[in-house]
Amino acid sequence: MATHDIFMPALSSTMTEGKIVEWLKKPGDKVGRGESVLVVESDKADMDVESFQEGYLAAVLMPAGSTAPVGETIGLIVESEDEIASAQEKAPQPSSKESPQETSSTSEQPQSTPTQASSSQISNTDNSKNTTQQSSIKAPQVVNTGRIIASPKAKKLASQKGVDLSTVLGSGPHGRIQLEDVEKANGQPISVPWVAESNAPASIAVSNSVSKATVSNNQPATAESLLGKSFGTAGEIIAFNTLQQAVNRNMEASLATPCFHVGYTISTDKLDELYKEVKPKGVTMTALLAKAVGLTLARHPQVNASTSPEGMSYPNQINIAVAVAMEDGGLITPVLQNVDQTNLSDLSTQWSDLVKRSRTKQLQPEEYSSGTFTLSNLGMFGVDRFDAILPPGTGAILAVAASRPVVIANKDGSISVRRQMQVNLTADHRVIYGADGAAFLKDLADLIENRTESMLS
Amino acid sequence: MDQQLHGIPPVPVDKSKLVTKSSSANNLSTFLFEPNELVDYEKALRWQQNWQKRLIFGPETAQAVWLLEHPICYTMGKGASQKNLLFDPNTSPWPLYRINRGGEATCHLPGQLVAYPILDLRRYTTDLHWYLRKLEDVLIDVLANLELHGERVKGLTGLWINGQKVAAIGVGCRRWITQHGFSLNINCEMESFKKVVPCGLINHPVGKLNDWIPGLTIKEVKPLLTRSLEKQFSLKWQQIGPMERTEDFATPIQMIHKKNFKDENH
Repeated sequence: MATHDIFMPALSSTMTEGKIVEWLKKPGDKVGRGESVLVVESDKADMDVESFQEGYLAAVLMPAGSTAPVGETIGLIVESEDEIASAQEKAPQPSSKESPQETSSTSEQPQSTPTQASSSQISNTDNSKNTTQQSSIKAPQVVNTGRIIASPKAKKLASQKGVDLSTVLGSGPHGRIQLEDVEKANGQPISVPWVAESNAPASIAVSNSVSKATVSNNQPATAESLLGKSFGTAGEIIAFNTLQQAVNRNMEASLATPCFHVGYTISTDKLDELYKEVKPKGVTMTALLAKAVGLTLARHPQVNASTSPEGMSYPNQINIAVAVAMEDGGLITPVLQNVDQTNLSDLSTQWSDLVKRSRTKQLQPEEYSSGTFTLSNLGMFGVDRFDAILPPGTGAILAVAASRPVVIANKDGSISVRRQMQVNLTADHRVIYGADGAAFLKDLADLIENRTESMLS
Repeated sequence: MDQQLHGIPPVPVDKSKLVTKSSSANNLSTFLFEPNELVDYEKALRWQQNWQKRLIFGPETAQAVWLLEHPICYTMGKGASQKNLLFDPNTSPWPLYRINRGGEATCHLPGQLVAYPILDLRRYTTDLHWYLRKLEDVLIDVLANLELHGERVKGLTGLWINGQKVAAIGVGCRRWITQHGFSLNINCEMESFKKVVPCGLINHPVGKLNDWIPGLTIKEVKPLLTRSLEKQFSLKWQQIGPMERTEDFATPIQMIHKKNFKDENH
């Protein structure tokens, strides 16, 4: 049982929306793998969009002639005939122009993740332009033999690094060579998106390799002098990639939300102890923080609520989205489901799977758009405080900074050294008031400082 | 008037970025087909589609370019509006084809040089707008060689001289393998263009190179176009072997709508 989305593909790096010219299949029609399902047009170019699965076209969500943003779900494919009806039931009404808010606000965020239905070539090229300059780096000639299928980025990196693609084992769909496969083959550390895996300051070596790749010939600066990431070089204007555009839209939407910020300083000695204890079992700091937040949200449902046109909306679950920056720009928010009800080791497994698949852009929309609360952690960079922008469709986001040793004056007048971190809540004041936020943070601090054992249950 | 229709305006592309990747350098070999006689639209389309399939199923296959002329016919993109046909489609004076390329209605006829590059954009950059601009570059090159100044019109695709549209572009693509291409009016009669709204552009007169260079023939333009394509896409022309010489290579394919205009969902 599975439903696969067909997404509006990006025909070009500058394309933000495309027009559906024609559906070549009708709902209920059988679709073969690699068979064209619809034709999309942008400017004077048409592209046949193929199905990546064998199955049945269950629903057409955007009719021919309509226009949809890149990455939007425009149709559904199911694996068996029996699933057609249920998929149609669940599907939103075709081209509900009046209520795109609902579908787009939740599904908009990481629009470039589709790899499911549109052909993978399509979805992996969103930022071809952003990285075009990289090709100006001279690379040794690579000799290809046999039939090699690799993503454009993988090919590009391979050509930069002189990796022979014929020797690289592909981990993508149908053995397609992905960027990370080339990185692996090249003996490079895999540059995981900056996932918060620890509260300890992380080395920023990761971004070093990024900047090296981004430096082009006309840039006088040496690679070593460039620590930060840059998508372009001096004098250039680089178009936003699809994911960046999606994030931009979400960030701009947040300007319409009346937000406030409330901060708290939390001692982390007990949390660090717990982390040391559970780390050998594969539990990550992200899972720990999410669990702590999830358990606290269960006691503060108001902070898990959000504004909807009808009023305050209280979700059925506590789903924590964790912001993850993507190497090639933009960010994605994989979601840990049902956090208060799920144990730490399951959360950790869930998380590592989500991160792995977000790197290869293989997340399903519900895996990045179903968050009810967001967690953003820059602790690994040693950041001592920051605040986050509220993603649309949710009520609050928590910014977590680094934990560091601080000299504390105790109540009895003695002095001690404790590890502390600052957290900062951004909340939609229509749903969550200052007192709600403060009570939530106080309770979160209490859990992390005094009741860490409750996270193990 | 129809700025909207064509959506995203052209984006200038820095040519220095268009250096093709060394890893695929050996993949830019390309066959050039230049049939001497007029080629029926359907036949040329079948050639293109077959070659597109070859490239889809054989990523190492050489690319192909056709340079040819069609007997008179009208074509329109699938997204095209029937309003741009100034006649009843059922009583079309000439064959009318509805095809899977972008763009509105246009006219093909002898005296118009048509180019169909079947290129694998994964060997270049997977960006259809880049490709459209690149085709314009090819045409600008050709005109420059004739000491004509070809112009782009902001927001539109195609090429103009002194406000007259001399070249039309419309492409289709499947898994980044292109088909269709562009047409350049050289010494064709222009009456037939009046029966359609070319490219959906009202008030954009259509011109031909003959208007500026009387006596210019297709024969003279072909080598210029060949050279320009070669340069802009770093093509390496391949010797045409017996395999490629056969008229209708590969498998038969389903045909598009024929002379008598029918609805899409047959």
